[in-house]
Amino acid sequence: MKRFLICVALILAASSFTHASEEKYQFEDPAKRELFLELTQELRCPMCQNQNIADSDAMIANDLRRKVYQLLKQGKSREEVVVYMKSRYGDFVSYKPPVTPATLWLWLLPVIFVLGAVVFIVQSRKKAAVKADPEALAKAEVLLEKD
Amino acid sequence: MLAELGNFALVIALMMSMLLAIYPMWGAYKNHAQMMALAKPLAIGLFVFTLFAYIVLTRAFIENDFSLAYVAHHSNSLLPWYYRVTAVWGGHEGSFLLWVLIFSLWTVAVALFSRAIPIQMVARVLAVLGLVAMGFYLFILLASNPFDRLLPFYPVDGRDLNPLLQDFGMIIHPPMLYMGYVGFSVAFAFAIAALISGKLDSTWARWSRPWTIAAWCFLTVGIALGSWWAYYELGWGGWWFWDPSENAAFMPWLVGTALMHSLAVTEKRKVFKSWTVLLAISAFSMSLLGTFLIRSGILVSVHAFATDPTRGLFILGILAVTVGGSLLLYALRAPQLKSTGRYELFSREVLLIGNNVLLTAATIVVFLGTLLPLVHKELGLGSISIGAPFFNQMFVFLIVPFVFLMGLGPLSRWKRQSPTALVRQLLIAFGISLSAAVLVIFSYDQAAYMAALGMTLSFWILLTTLQEVMQRIEGNKGELSVVAKLRALTPSHWGMVLGHVGFAVTLIGITLVSNYEQESDVRMSTGDSINIGGYDFVFNGVEELKGPNYGGHVGLVDVFEDGDFVSALAAEKRFYPVQRTTMTEAGIDSGLTRDLFVALGERLDNGDWALRIYVKPFVNWIWAGAFIMGIGGIFSIADRRYRMAKVAKFKSLTSNGKTIEPATEAN
Amino acid sequence: MKKVLIFLLPLGFFVLVALFLFQGLFSDPRARDSSLVNKPLPDFNLPDLMQPQVEYTPEVFKGQVSLLNVWGVWCITCAIELPYLTELSDNGVRIVGLYYDQDTDPDFGTKTVGTIQQEVNAKLGQLGNPYAFNIFDTYRDYSLDLGVTGAPETFLIDKKGVIRMHHIGDVNPRVWKNKIGPVYQRLMSE
Repeated sequence: MKRFLICVALILAASSFTHASEEKYQFEDPAKRELFLELTQELRCPMCQNQNIADSDAMIANDLRRKVYQLLKQGKSREEVVVYMKSRYGDFVSYKPPVTPATLWLWLLPVIFVLGAVVFIVQSRKKAAVKADPEALAKAEVLLEKD
Repeated sequence: MLAELGNFALVIALMMSMLLAIYPMWGAYKNHAQMMALAKPLAIGLFVFTLFAYIVLTRAFIENDFSLAYVAHHSNSLLPWYYRVTAVWGGHEGSFLLWVLIFSLWTVAVALFSRAIPIQMVARVLAVLGLVAMGFYLFILLASNPFDRLLPFYPVDGRDLNPLLQDFGMIIHPPMLYMGYVGFSVAFAFAIAALISGKLDSTWARWSRPWTIAAWCFLTVGIALGSWWAYYELGWGGWWFWDPSENAAFMPWLVGTALMHSLAVTEKRKVFKSWTVLLAISAFSMSLLGTFLIRSGILVSVHAFATDPTRGLFILGILAVTVGGSLLLYALRAPQLKSTGRYELFSREVLLIGNNVLLTAATIVVFLGTLLPLVHKELGLGSISIGAPFFNQMFVFLIVPFVFLMGLGPLSRWKRQSPTALVRQLLIAFGISLSAAVLVIFSYDQAAYMAALGMTLSFWILLTTLQEVMQRIEGNKGELSVVAKLRALTPSHWGMVLGHVGFAVTLIGITLVSNYEQESDVRMSTGDSINIGGYDFVFNGVEELKGPNYGGHVGLVDVFEDGDFVSALAAEKRFYPVQRTTMTEAGIDSGLTRDLFVALGERLDNGDWALRIYVKPFVNWIWAGAFIMGIGGIFSIADRRYRMAKVAKFKSLTSNGKTIEPATEAN
Repeated sequence: MKKVLIFLLPLGFFVLVALFLFQGLFSDPRARDSSLVNKPLPDFNLPDLMQPQVEYTPEVFKGQVSLLNVWGVWCITCAIELPYLTELSDNGVRIVGLYYDQDTDPDFGTKTVGTIQQEVNAKLGQLGNPYAFNIFDTYRDYSLDLGVTGAPETFLIDKKGVIRMHHIGDVNPRVWKNKIGPVYQRLMSE
């Protein structure tokens, strides 16, 4: 109820100003607007230093934004837009790298490292437990107890 | 004439770094006291002469000496004096001089504040620093001299400082960042000195701990300042772009964070010795790699230093000698390292090494994401881009176990922790975190899984930290009041608490701004209004703007909430005629719970203006958290344990013939 | 021994990375392969810049080797390459222009076709006219189809209407001699 009242108050407040301004790219469907924002952040401006097309003021970024808007308006899906761009500007145009034997390492290497480290820690614990010299350990324990 | 003196000062500094690299090292090898004693005056000399060169360059900027090529390229007579002072690090040559100055500052700090450390160790550490410095001074003099003249035909006026850098954030960001970058050289030098001497007990870890924490503090604050600067200066409203220049600073931070924790374990428990040494080498290697990536121009980045392949080659040479040499030394010496401490699988040691593993995995992610496009292209497989979608995905996976361990670690005991003893506590913490997160998410209109996850993680850190402090108070059996018990906790303990709380605060900011940010790209004419995120933005037109060295327009926007006036924002679009660059200065109303952000776009044909408007919830928490982490670091350094008296006592004890492991008496 | 190998791992990794970094120093980070090379020209149906009633399709490229040069009067580098392009066209190279204007928002642009024609005529009159004709890329859609990122860019098209080369940046004697010219000669003799 309270939220409803706040909404009403907001609508009243907003309507008290002369007239509302319009968004540059308008969508009836909020999901499409969301998709548009997402795609323009994921696509890379091909001639800029390192910017997505949402952030860049370059003409090409402007054109690509307009193109994304047109394609979405035509009912194209997310994948279709990305394929459209990649067929013209190559894999470079998307900040999402393609999964190929060469790029697979992006995901594999961190995982291998973590798994390897876990195995290594568990293994070395076992070895240490076997090898430990009881006398030296007792001495170390005494020293450490002082902590 | 003065500039030639500056150049000469650099030549003397180079010679001093050479002497510093040779004599103390030789002295330590031969146990020759006088040669080792040379280290300190040489380090002081290195700093003084570098400082002199730096002051000379600054003076040239203040006095508009455009006969110096570097000044002519990066300053202008219309530039306000304070920007002329900071323009010294506005380009490649000058910023490298600042780099070297900060390097010599750390060197002289080590020379002055290490009275308690055995002279052999100090001599070796300073010699290693001298060796590294030598490469940099050679580089400055041979490939990037800021004192090169444009004689006889020099310009009447300069080309001006890059407008992006004419800003308060830029005044402090690079020095802070360099303090952090370069600061890891000290931990590096301690590790190398320890490897050379073969004395790899945990003493080196204790000596290098405060230095590492200090460097880490600077780097944390430096990165936060850079992010904050990008947020309000670039006009895109973003605070992190995964740009190579950012990744270059982020990698040493990740490794440095791991090192800081690993040093604590090695010092206190004498385990993971070879791992800690490797991290100490890696942290500084990452700093060097970052320097190489940014200054060689081999990656396409928003950060543009004018690039030159000979410079890249030179730095790569330094990198190869420094990193390659130290890793070789590591491969030769590290197998002899034995860890003596005992610990069970579930213990604070293992939890801390777990955190190290995850931080290293995060470094690998950033490293691959930054460099794989280059490798991909060099292998002839074509150009690819790796950006935010990849990094965000990987970091979401990594942060869950990381934060879990982060809560668990401080609660656990060294050596062995009984899992059952913790379960109840952890279940309570988890239950409260989840409920609190759900409550927060419900106060927003739409629920998002990511937001719920992020908030649960943040509350988890906060709650376990609180539990840990309470555990400590209860553990204190004295007849003291709670306040007195709190005061009895050591500064370094508070350092840890603040560090973790700061991380949680940053995580809250990241979570909420990523999930609940509202944005709109609108065209507006005077008098128009738009409602975004419950705020009414009213456009009051555009006025002319006249600055000391720029002109432009300023868009005036009033913001109302429920009809009440909130703030008047001024979004500037500046044009700097000398560099022919347009700059956006966003109008921002900062608050504890949200930022209102307006950036002025281009003028449209019918006289309307394009505007970009954002409502960003809790965005300030990102940087606030980083500052809390920095303060935590300061607390840790301030801990009495690192002060001289106690260490000096230890030294006198050992000189009496008794050998006491220093790590055991301290905790 | 096995243990020593583990400690050599970081060094090996570093050496590998350093090699790539070294190689990376000598290549341009911004150079990229075009994804349209060796593919037929994408379909289009666009008017002539000077006579809008005339419409072109990819058919105009069939039967002869041509250069398709993307340009605009607002582009500074284009003005630099115009005299050399004119020289090439005087030597018998067929050059077709793909013209587009800079008005950022073609839907609400201020310029009329008339003003653009005047500007183009003035520019070509001053620096030389290498173009057999100019295709007017009204909405910049076609340059987008070609993967153009800015101006000037030049495509080398063979007798079958297939793109054989995509050059970004200006065409100057050095570029022609080392890069475009040899391929052009080969295509001519095909």
